[in-house]
Amino acid sequence: MQSWRRKALWLALLTSWLLGLLGVFPLLRLAVPTRPRAESPKGWPRWLDAELLQSFSQPVELPEDAPQSPLAPHNGSCNWGACFDASKCRGGGFKVFTYPAADPISETQRRILASIEGSRYHTFSPAEACLLLLSLDASAGECSPGPPQWNGGKNHLVLRLHSASCSQTFQLGQAMVAEASPTVDTFRPGFDVALPLLPEAHPLRGGAPGQLRQHSPQPRVALVALAEERGGWRMAGTNSSACLWDGRCEQDHGRKQTHPGATLPNATFCLIPGRRPDASRFLQTLQAGCIPVLLSPRWELPFSEVIDWTKAAIVADERLPLQVLLAALQEMPPTRVLALRQQTQFLWDTYFSSVEKIVHTTLEIIQDRILGVSAHPSLLWNSPPGALVALPSFSTSPSDFPFYHLQQGSRPAGRFSALIWVGAPGQPPLKLIQAVAGSQHCAQILVLWSSEKPPPPRWPETAVPVIVMEGPRKVSDRFFPYSAINTDAILSLDAHSSLSTSEVDFAFVVWQSFPERMVGFLTWSHFWDEARNGWGYTAKRSNEFSMILTSAAFYHRYYHTLFTHSLPKALRTLADEAPTCVDVLMNFLVAAVTKLPPIKVPYGKRRQETRTPLAPRGLGPAPADQDCINQMTTGFGQMPLVSSRLRLDPVLFKDPVSVLRKKYRSLEKP
Amino acid sequence: MCAAVKYNIRGPALIPRMKTKHRIYYIALFSVVLLGLIATGMFQFWPHSIESSNDWSVEKRSVRDVPVVRLPADSPLPERGDLSCRMHTCFDVYRCGFNPKNKIKVYIYSLKKYVDDGGVPVSSAISREYNELLTAISDSDYYTDDIARACLFVPSIDLLNQNTLRIKEAAQALAQLSRWDRGTNHLLFNMLPGGPPDYNTALDVPRDRALLAGGGFSTWTYRQGYDVSIPVYSPLSAEVDLPEKGPGPRRYFVLSSQMALHPEYREELEALQAKHGESVLVLDKCTNLSEGVLSIRKRCHKHQVFDYPQVLQEATFCVVVRGARLGQAVLSDVLRAGCVPVVIADSYILPFSEVLDWKRASVVVPEEKMSDVYSILQSIPQRQIEEMQRQARWFWEAYFQSIKAIALATLQIINDRIYPYAAISYEEWNDPPTVKWGSVSNPLFLPLIPPQSQGFTAIVLTYDRVESLFRVITEVSKVPSLSKLLVVWNNQNKHPPEESLWPKIRVPLKVVRTAENKLSNRFFPYDEIETEAVLAIDDDIIMLTSDELQFGYEVWREFPDRLVGYPGRLHLWDHEMSKWKYESEWTNEVSMVLTGAAFYHKYFNYLYTYKMPGDIKNWVDAHMNCEDIAMNFLVANVTGKAVIKVTPRKKFKCPECTAIDGLSLDQTHMVERSECINKFASVFGTMPLKVVEHRADPVLYKDDFPEKLKSFPNIGSL
Repeated sequence: MQSWRRKALWLALLTSWLLGLLGVFPLLRLAVPTRPRAESPKGWPRWLDAELLQSFSQPVELPEDAPQSPLAPHNGSCNWGACFDASKCRGGGFKVFTYPAADPISETQRRILASIEGSRYHTFSPAEACLLLLSLDASAGECSPGPPQWNGGKNHLVLRLHSASCSQTFQLGQAMVAEASPTVDTFRPGFDVALPLLPEAHPLRGGAPGQLRQHSPQPRVALVALAEERGGWRMAGTNSSACLWDGRCEQDHGRKQTHPGATLPNATFCLIPGRRPDASRFLQTLQAGCIPVLLSPRWELPFSEVIDWTKAAIVADERLPLQVLLAALQEMPPTRVLALRQQTQFLWDTYFSSVEKIVHTTLEIIQDRILGVSAHPSLLWNSPPGALVALPSFSTSPSDFPFYHLQQGSRPAGRFSALIWVGAPGQPPLKLIQAVAGSQHCAQILVLWSSEKPPPPRWPETAVPVIVMEGPRKVSDRFFPYSAINTDAILSLDAHSSLSTSEVDFAFVVWQSFPERMVGFLTWSHFWDEARNGWGYTAKRSNEFSMILTSAAFYHRYYHTLFTHSLPKALRTLADEAPTCVDVLMNFLVAAVTKLPPIKVPYGKRRQETRTPLAPRGLGPAPADQDCINQMTTGFGQMPLVSSRLRLDPVLFKDPVSVLRKKYRSLEKP
Repeated sequence: MCAAVKYNIRGPALIPRMKTKHRIYYIALFSVVLLGLIATGMFQFWPHSIESSNDWSVEKRSVRDVPVVRLPADSPLPERGDLSCRMHTCFDVYRCGFNPKNKIKVYIYSLKKYVDDGGVPVSSAISREYNELLTAISDSDYYTDDIARACLFVPSIDLLNQNTLRIKEAAQALAQLSRWDRGTNHLLFNMLPGGPPDYNTALDVPRDRALLAGGGFSTWTYRQGYDVSIPVYSPLSAEVDLPEKGPGPRRYFVLSSQMALHPEYREELEALQAKHGESVLVLDKCTNLSEGVLSIRKRCHKHQVFDYPQVLQEATFCVVVRGARLGQAVLSDVLRAGCVPVVIADSYILPFSEVLDWKRASVVVPEEKMSDVYSILQSIPQRQIEEMQRQARWFWEAYFQSIKAIALATLQIINDRIYPYAAISYEEWNDPPTVKWGSVSNPLFLPLIPPQSQGFTAIVLTYDRVESLFRVITEVSKVPSLSKLLVVWNNQNKHPPEESLWPKIRVPLKVVRTAENKLSNRFFPYDEIETEAVLAIDDDIIMLTSDELQFGYEVWREFPDRLVGYPGRLHLWDHEMSKWKYESEWTNEVSMVLTGAAFYHKYFNYLYTYKMPGDIKNWVDAHMNCEDIAMNFLVANVTGKAVIKVTPRKKFKCPECTAIDGLSLDQTHMVERSECINKFASVFGTMPLKVVEHRADPVLYKDDFPEKLKSFPNIGSL
């Protein structure tokens, strides 16, 4: 009995403990609801009555607020809508008037004015101008009083390249300010323009190319370089984060330089401290292909309105411990480093390497604001070849341009328009038309009849339409963006050119793989002529080439727009005067945009000897024309041509295999 | 648990000593405990058995059942918002220093009910949206419940609608938060700022240095790079089911659906309607709706009644004019309908404008140009309009659709500011998924021709064919641009020959021994590779001439982002079998080159080793085959470009070798290779290979020209 009771007692005791264990915890939870639980994060509670909560806005009160008159500009600060009158820009397009500079004038300022006066935007009449540009030059010592057409600063852009002491002499009013490295506190986004801090000796045109010679960082190159106060750079390897600051490292290459600022850093990342004079280092690092790491977010980066700096630079907070930053840099994936490095070079070459580019970028930004919807899309600003050579007047759809097919996942359209130039002799190119029309890719044939003789009344029957456009034309008119051209590809031809259907077909298929380049048959190459101390070019056959003759070449129709609307008039006039020059100019243009050589495809042997009519005396241009290439080089500010040593042939070209296997067999006929 | 065990152990010693009356006492005690337990169980499971099943970790309460905090009338008030605040002046980054993975940590204050001295609440109860917002943050990776580790603090005081709160008292409530510290690192959310009559464009509650995520900022109140401009959430987003309508021409060109328009603006719009007729539709409130119909869901034009927001899908452009406030909820409805918003609100900072490219999804027209709206819109080409319609819908889906989307986008923006080196790119923010899928961003996008002087590194993978290897080394060392030779010794059972036995060549020769005999060792990014150009070459490729190799390198310099190789191969779609087929016949097209001898950028070694999608790398090592096809896939996929086949070379084997291989071996080989292509295409999810019809030859190849004047006279045969 005793034992039974004892057992029962035991059982009861055990079960009660068990139940207690099960029960006490929930009980505790109920009793002490706000105590946090150690093991799992509490989070925001799921309220029992969450479903019953009211919405933050009751339909009745939401949109029906009281009507109100337009806001007045707040005490003098301006934004684009309030302080710029875009209606003045609609008539004649975007025209810029510059006030004549007061003496003395600094070199930088002179270059800026010169580059505007040489641009397509310039006008001499302040009345028809949409933008009036006033250059304030503090370094010149004196400040000019308010200019005659000031009008409270409306539609004015005040250029302030040096930290201005002079802005107080008259009220800036409603004028926009283009200033070098402004601080974010005073900068008005969407209204002011941030410029880079220019070195005194910045070239007017062309400019030094980027220093990057390879895509990826060289092994064993310093990870970071730090800008020093005296203008040099102090290199540091990956593990010496401490020595960067206390100066214990011995490997500083910067100090050896006597010229402050002359040296370019050779490192993957360049740390630029927040002191204002260091802002000038920013351009240096871009040129060097060293990824700028700004240790101060206080400056507005140059052209930040359009340039996506996250793709090329890192803005870090100087207050964070340096070790954190260095660790982040060291751990940055190679893919990102690669992309950042390349972007620095692209930005340098496109927007910063010369005064002209900086000025044009500034004006393009303001023009984009006026254009609104039809402005450059962001992609055009931030990927090669850049917004200065991607005109939004051509199209705002990136896939219409030859440059963005990869990013857009698109392809150029599968047809081409043949454009045949008939010059003075006035021979209708009947055989050529037959050969070209025989191509399955041909959409239409346009004949530019610029001979004195009238065109024949009848043209051969072809599968594609033949459109004759009459009228005497200048040579450069062959590159006019005729509205009749409705395909992406243009096959530019001369009446004398002789091509077979096979050649046309193959060249077009190759062009589809390289829509941004010129693909052609006859080539020239350029060379440095020591004797004449200038550039020369020759039609002699050699192991390399750099130009494609436009008497038989495929290229994208966009280049017609670019040729006509972006080249300085002086260069086009030059091309009209010297006949071979127009080929040089077109090749310069395409090479300057793509930075790549053109592409040569095979050309039947039988006609190798008959040179292009543009170079009538067989081997190369007349001596007078040789000047053309040098004048072009001056006009472009650099020699853009790039040589190639290869030719693209069909895969089975001249192989000892059965002819029946070959798709382009007639290419090989003697 | 521990305690229980302890008692049980002590139990047997205790009980025998107990007296009988104690036993009764114990039994009574147990029954009390038992009864208590039953009661607890009842209380636990009975009243709210529905919720208790889904989430045990979170407490269950009512929002009315929260601690009450009494604010004395003289409790401190924060200063007004500091307009000069920037991240580097007003934000304390040190608090964000600890966080791993470059992610900020956000703490949410627990919900309290604030009342003034008289016991009158400071604001109405938390709104549904603010509760959703805090839930979204709490469910996200950003959340922490450890106040000491937090970098950003979100008060639970609901400030979404300024009209529902008492400004001074709400500010006092903010000021007494435990980590307020002048509002440093505090993030406030507000969608409807200001109040009559002047409607400020930012929240009027004094907030000192706190960041404001506000709807309806103007350029005057927005602190660029500090505040975040957010949308005004439209409750219709959740209430109405509106299936997506694709882009394309729609019935109305321009539509205005807002009910309360300034009379001046309405006049302007009606003038447009009068001028352009059918294509413009200006809707207004309905006056004669029958009882029970929600007026918010109907719009009228004369006597015609339209369903809202469905009617928005009938229009190409939808006007969004500012009311008293700049931010309008209608923007969200318009985007959702795939209608391109025409924003007429001077100085309005569009939502998330720091990261979103609104030029791609909207048209901003200055108020004074309102009469020109029609002609401005007409000048936009149809292609661009459709692009904008798609973009508008995508913005809604990604950033407007729900309170959660708005909250997470806001936190991501702040996160990107604090960890700029880990920030999300423009493309990730702005490109719709279809574009992201179709587009390729070439990792070597800069048009750059590397200098010839750099040369290339030849990498020879070898197992034990020493004699053949030495011949390859001797041959390759004759190529002028070779700068280093790397032998990858893939045989773990055998030592490489002694140093003295190796051929003497003019460039450095390094031997790397591998840990395992794997094919992928040939594509490893060895530290010894100092040049950008890499020539991968097998230990039996002795037929390539020096001219041929040098020319290959020259071609690579002109196409540094491509695979440049000798024999080309092709992939074909087999219609009968509905799958891909490998083709080694001598065709007119190529889509791959063999890596038995191929030039490429060393970056692709990094990609092959560390970024190869799926299990391809292991698969190749397991099958001991197809590493070259995998490389072709990888390069074509990241660059979107075709290979370059160089010179007429069609195969690596000498004619007599093919006879030994035999036909059957050849066939199994082809089947295996086809399998590889199908496997890789399924892993990549697409067929990245590009087919071309060209190969690269020297400019004067087979031209009638003196051989001795040609740069590369000795280009081999097939």
